[in-house]
Amino acid sequence: MLDVSRVQKELMEVERDKLSGVSIQILGSSLSHMQGTIEGPSGTPYEGGVFTIDIQLPSAYPFEPPKMQFITRVWHPNISSQNGAICLDILKDQWSPALTLKTALLSLQALLSTPEPGDPQDAVVAEQYLKHYSTYVSTARYWTETFAKRSSIGLQEKVMKFVEMGFSEDAALGALQSTGGDENAALEKLCSG
Amino acid sequence: MEMVLDLDGDRPRDDEIMAQHYAIRAEEAGKISFLGNKEPLSTLAAEYELGNSIFKTKIEKLGEIYGAIRRTRGDGNCFFRAFMFSYLENLLETKNNLEAARVKDSVEKCKQTLLDLGHAEFTFEDFLASFTEQLDAVQDVTLSVDKLVDNCRDQAISDSVVMFFRFITSGEIRKRADFFEPFIFGTSGMAVQQFCRTSVEPMGEESDHVHITALSDALGVPIRIVYLDSSVGDGGKTVEVNFHDFIPSELSQEKVKPPVMLLYRPGHYDILYEK
Repeated sequence: MLDVSRVQKELMEVERDKLSGVSIQILGSSLSHMQGTIEGPSGTPYEGGVFTIDIQLPSAYPFEPPKMQFITRVWHPNISSQNGAICLDILKDQWSPALTLKTALLSLQALLSTPEPGDPQDAVVAEQYLKHYSTYVSTARYWTETFAKRSSIGLQEKVMKFVEMGFSEDAALGALQSTGGDENAALEKLCSG
Repeated sequence: MEMVLDLDGDRPRDDEIMAQHYAIRAEEAGKISFLGNKEPLSTLAAEYELGNSIFKTKIEKLGEIYGAIRRTRGDGNCFFRAFMFSYLENLLETKNNLEAARVKDSVEKCKQTLLDLGHAEFTFEDFLASFTEQLDAVQDVTLSVDKLVDNCRDQAISDSVVMFFRFITSGEIRKRADFFEPFIFGTSGMAVQQFCRTSVEPMGEESDHVHITALSDALGVPIRIVYLDSSVGDGGKTVEVNFHDFIPSELSQEKVKPPVMLLYRPGHYDILYEK
C-alpha cells in the first residue's frame, strides 16, 4: 500500500518551498504518478532550461525508490539521450526513506551540474564528454535550447497574450496548464470560468 | 515521441536494476522470517559439526554462559531487527517501566537531533511512532512473548522500526561527527556525511561497530556483541570467545549488564540468551 499521507506531506512541502526551483504536479487522480520539473543549474550547458521528469511511485514507497525518468530530452552522460533513463545511486540501492521526492529532484539537478562520465547511462555522451569536451558542451546547450526551452518560452508568450486580453497572469497560466498548452481550449476555459 | 530502446548499448534502466535487487532480497526472505524461533544453542553446534575446530571449541565455551539463540534474517538489517526484538523482549520480561520511560526520553532527544540536522519531521514521524507503539505494547501486562514475536515479524512494523533506528544512528553520528570521523575514515575511507548517506540511511546496509556505538549512545542502551570467528589468542594457544560491551557514555562509570546480547558471525547478527 502506498503511504498516501506521507506523499501528501511531501507535496505540501514542495508547494511551500517556492525557492527550491523544484515543482511537482499530480497526474490524474492517483498519487502514484506525477511529473516533476527542475531548472537547469546556472553555469552549466543546462542553464535556462526547464526539465520535466516522469515520477512513478511503487506501492512500497518510501521503502522503495521512486521511478524517475526525464521526459525532456537531455544530453548528459548519466541520462539516456534515447529514453531519459537516469543513472543515479539514490534512485537504486542507495535510496533511503530519509530522502524525499524533493531531495531526489534536487539530486537530479545536482547531477546536471556534476556529470559522472565514469559511471555512464549513455555511453555515447560519456565518450564525447571525456574525449571532446567542448563538443559535449555545445551539444548539451543545443539540446537545452531545443528541448528544454521551447515549451516554457512558448508558454510564457501564450500567458502574456492572455494578460494583454485582460486576464490575470495566474488565471492564464492555470488555464494553459490544465489544457496542456492548447490556447483555444484555455481561452474557452477562461471565458467560461 | 517514439523512443527506441537499446540503440546505443544503454545499461539497464533503474527499475530493471531494482527489480533484480528486490528479487535477490525476496529469495533471502524465503529462507527465514525476520525473526526465528528461540532454539537451543546445540543447533548452532550442529551447524559446525563437520567444520573448523576453532568454531567448535568456541561454541562449547559459548555454551557455558549462553543457552539459546534466536536467528534473524540476513538481509543487511539483521543488527537492527535483532536489537529491536531483544530490547523489547527484555523490557517485556523485566516489566521495567522506568527503563521504558527513560528510553522514551531518549527518543525525544533523538527527534530533536534529527530536526536540528534539518530532517523534515514527516520523513521520520511515522517510524518514530512505530517504535513508541512497541514500547507501549510491552508495558501492557497482557502482552505475550509470542505476540511480540508476531509484531516483530510484521514487515510494516519491523521495517518502520528499523528505519527509525537508521535515522537516529545517522543522527547520532552526524551530531558527534568529530568523535566518529576517525573510526569511519579508518574503516571505510569515507567522510561522515557520505558514510551516513550510503551506509546507514539506506535499508539493507550492514552494520559495524560504528552503527552499534551510535545506536547504543543515541538510545542509552548497552549492547553486548559476542564474536564467533576463527580468531585465536596467544599465538594459537588459547581459544576464547571474545565479546565487547558497548556502554553509552552516561553509564560508563557503572557496572552494567547489557539487556541486549547479540552473536556476531562475520556479516551477520543473531540474538543470544544467557542460561
